[in-house]
Amino acid sequence: MSLVARALEAAGIPTVMLGCARDIVEQAGVPRFLFSDFPLGNSCGKPFEPEMQRDIARMALDLLESARAPRTTVQTPFRWAEDAAWKRDFYRLDMTPDQIAKAKAEFDGQKAILNEKLQGG
Amino acid sequence: MTTADRTETGFTEVELDLPVRYMDRSRAYYLTLGYGNPYRWAQHRDVPFTRITKPVSESRVALVSTASPYNPEAGDQGPWAPYNANAKFTNVYSMPVDPPPDVRISHVGYDRKHTSAEDINSYFPLARLQEAEREGRIGKLNERFYGVPTLRSQRLTNERDAPAVLEMCRADGIEAAILVAT
Repeated sequence: MSLVARALEAAGIPTVMLGCARDIVEQAGVPRFLFSDFPLGNSCGKPFEPEMQRDIARMALDLLESARAPRTTVQTPFRWAEDAAWKRDFYRLDMTPDQIAKAKAEFDGQKAILNEKLQGG
Repeated sequence: MTTADRTETGFTEVELDLPVRYMDRSRAYYLTLGYGNPYRWAQHRDVPFTRITKPVSESRVALVSTASPYNPEAGDQGPWAPYNANAKFTNVYSMPVDPPPDVRISHVGYDRKHTSAEDINSYFPLARLQEAEREGRIGKLNERFYGVPTLRSQRLTNERDAPAVLEMCRADGIEAAILVAT
């Protein structure tokens, strides 16, 4: 999605991107980035918290107007949870050989499905 | 620092206040699985910039999403669905924003342990943008949104998909775009 933001911006259309993967987006380099430090899948706010979602939408619109240079990142002020369990869980890689084999089979299977779709379409 | 300060994953609680290092973690994960040539994310030194020339309250604004229209033929698309490549789409699409579309994210790698994708508003902010339009914060929300595929191919995104989105934006007279990464 960062690549699309860059293409639109280069063609004269101002963009703002909402996301949760700060390292990936900032390495790609986008004009305006509204970052929320949430698990992936929640770029627009926590589920069932419309007030927070409204604040994030407003911050995105504000950022469209306030940025004066590319690579302007703004971080939303919200925390996912008091405890950082979601980050601890995400970093955990202590897999058993069985889990590794299963994950690899799953990944290869999903990749084959995608390749088939790409061939077909 | 004593070992007691560290969690099982080797991070202190203070380090866990920093943004997640997705690229490092992803490389480590694929190496653990035995893949030797990990994905390289896009990297650019220069970044384009177009300063906005009129207020958003007077602009036509488009929503750009990676979410996928629900397809009853494509298996479990959640909430709570496991990763589902069958639900992927392979070309840029557009759909009307009225009636609100049923779009899902089972085809992308989000955090399945801590996220359920139960609330579309956490990844597809249409309702929130429509509110902003009613309040006058957005001049006009475009009548259709654009969907961009996630195919792990920077070449396809750069050469095919980004130009397709740009063409739709031009056809619709888009003056600013809100893109949501997943």
